[in-house]
Amino acid sequence: MKKENQMDLNRRDFLRGGSLATMMMMMGGVPLNAAEEKAEVNPDGTTNYKGEAKPLPVGVIGCGRWGREIIQTLSTIPFGPVVAICDTYGAYLRRAGRMAKEAKQYADYRELLADDNVKGVIVATPTHQHKQIVLDALAAGKHVYCEAPLAHTIDDAREILEAARKAITVNFQPGLQNRSDKQIVNLYNYRIKASVIGTPLKARGQYHRKMSWRFTSPNPEREKEINWRLKRDISLGLLGELGIHQLDMINWFFGLLPVSVMGVGSLRHWDDGRDVPDNVQAVLRYPTGIFHSYEATICNSFNAEMTKLYGTDSAILMRDRHAWMFKEADAPLLGWEVYSRKDTFYNESGLVLGAGATKQTTHGAKSTPSTEEADPISPLQYSLQAFLINSYDHGAAVQDFTSMFGADDKEALREYLVDAQKSRVAAATVEDGYTATVTAIKANEAALKNGVVEIPESLFKIS
Amino acid sequence: MMKTKTILWSLNLLAAVAVSTAVQAADNLVRYMARPGGSVVVEGTSTVHDWEVEGKIIGGYFMVEPAFQTDLSLKSVKSLTTKETNPKAVISIPIRSLKSGKDTMDRIMQEAMKADKNPMIRFTLKEMVVKGEVPESGSPVTFATKGDLSVSGVTKEIEMDVTMERKPAKTLVFKGEKKLKMTDFGITPPSPKIPGLGSIIKTGDEVTVKFTWIVKAR
Repeated sequence: MKKENQMDLNRRDFLRGGSLATMMMMMGGVPLNAAEEKAEVNPDGTTNYKGEAKPLPVGVIGCGRWGREIIQTLSTIPFGPVVAICDTYGAYLRRAGRMAKEAKQYADYRELLADDNVKGVIVATPTHQHKQIVLDALAAGKHVYCEAPLAHTIDDAREILEAARKAITVNFQPGLQNRSDKQIVNLYNYRIKASVIGTPLKARGQYHRKMSWRFTSPNPEREKEINWRLKRDISLGLLGELGIHQLDMINWFFGLLPVSVMGVGSLRHWDDGRDVPDNVQAVLRYPTGIFHSYEATICNSFNAEMTKLYGTDSAILMRDRHAWMFKEADAPLLGWEVYSRKDTFYNESGLVLGAGATKQTTHGAKSTPSTEEADPISPLQYSLQAFLINSYDHGAAVQDFTSMFGADDKEALREYLVDAQKSRVAAATVEDGYTATVTAIKANEAALKNGVVEIPESLFKIS
Repeated sequence: MMKTKTILWSLNLLAAVAVSTAVQAADNLVRYMARPGGSVVVEGTSTVHDWEVEGKIIGGYFMVEPAFQTDLSLKSVKSLTTKETNPKAVISIPIRSLKSGKDTMDRIMQEAMKADKNPMIRFTLKEMVVKGEVPESGSPVTFATKGDLSVSGVTKEIEMDVTMERKPAKTLVFKGEKKLKMTDFGITPPSPKIPGLGSIIKTGDEVTVKFTWIVKAR
């Protein structure tokens, strides 16, 4: 799903294995002991404060492909030490163990939850197994990062929602990584919220890839288990397992929740005994007459993954972690676009909407979309960083409050923690996770039904 | 974490019990404990813009002789009218509870204030004397106070005027304001380079601390 980043891991292992000084000498450097302790103030008057985040020791539950991607990403974050890993399948556990050598290995997640060194857990098991693990983790007082979708049924998703809202002393974050991605958060804060597209009309999104979505294993029992995504009784299919991130993004951008969804789905190519469609489309209708047309297939890769927003003043195209704006001729002048770089697409000119792209220094610069470098920090890394920082801060807030005022006044503690949320690093909340999961479940339902599914407002109601 | 918390708590309780027994035996003072609802705001300047951090955790206690609760004129409350005896008070603020709204800036502040070694800002009262008239209702009253302020491992004696309001349910609200210099407490004001431009942002040395402290009799 994501690009492997093996090189970084190896470099880190190397650094960990040998002393930095030895390496520096090998490279021809002369060790200067005095320089090791950096002074607070440099000769030019600048200070050396780094503002580094405090580490939050975590355990990863579920070491399949995505769980290992998470471990890999955590290995590049200095404040996210992986101290425990868990998988019921020995081969996965051992593979993950080679990536996180310091981590204690568990076959039973309940034993991992009993490990006092673990302050937060990341749940990356198959979707239908999330609920029990999340409930037990919250009960054990661990901060929880749960992959999206939260669950494969609305009942399970609601149980997670309610348990997470009740567990006020821990931080919960669903794996809706777009909500932490600096590129997308900036786009939302400075462009979408500022209504640069005018009156919103519609969104169009797609996820196109050519892949079987089937994993192989020499063990037939195991093969059944790892291919849970291909069984409709436990899988939310392409719309739920892959599309949820884009579906959630449109809920977020519009600030609305869908009232109905019309879907179609078919199995056109990978007819290997699976009962999950490989070709789906869904049109989600929003209260004000806006709609989102979304399609996903694993039979054709043309144009890959993208999202487009259309409004009366302009359209925005998001693709490969870049965004461009295409203005209508009669749209009002915004000002900042004067400094914006422009890229040419066929016969259209798009204003580049990257973080920092409208700085004066970029004025007049030209680039082509294909050579432009994407943000080196992946959305998953932004999301995990947000989880680590917010969880540490949440734990610190609980500790500071109770050490001063005691732990008896739960309501005062809750009030304080709600207020402290204002300083939270941008990240999806459990409510976002729940509404996204309901949206995905209903979209998948419509595609399986080849028809219309109404979404009663009560489903989204959060007491 | 549970374990640390429990230990911290037991220590706190132990300290509280030790203090209150000692005090009851010696002076028979009434004890007011800090309650949630207070705030502390630190306002500062820099070469680019003014800044502000806010905290909502102000802990501690205030102890005074029982006459304080009945004699609203405070005339018979010796510890608040003379310098010979004084009430006891300690105010504590965890540094990491001070928030600017930007997590990196918060952590830089914690680093500059050496919060790992000295996680608390602490004010220990030494003198507290009524200043001006005490209204008939007993509220509000202004006091001239003197005490030791400890920040970043450096303790300095400061003087500050503090107003007190009496609220229902034996609750008191203290408010005060004080200008301080970071360098007086060994703190080097952060001066980062502006990325890409090479120029330096300089944080002003002087800050203004404003606090509202709420205590309630047990």
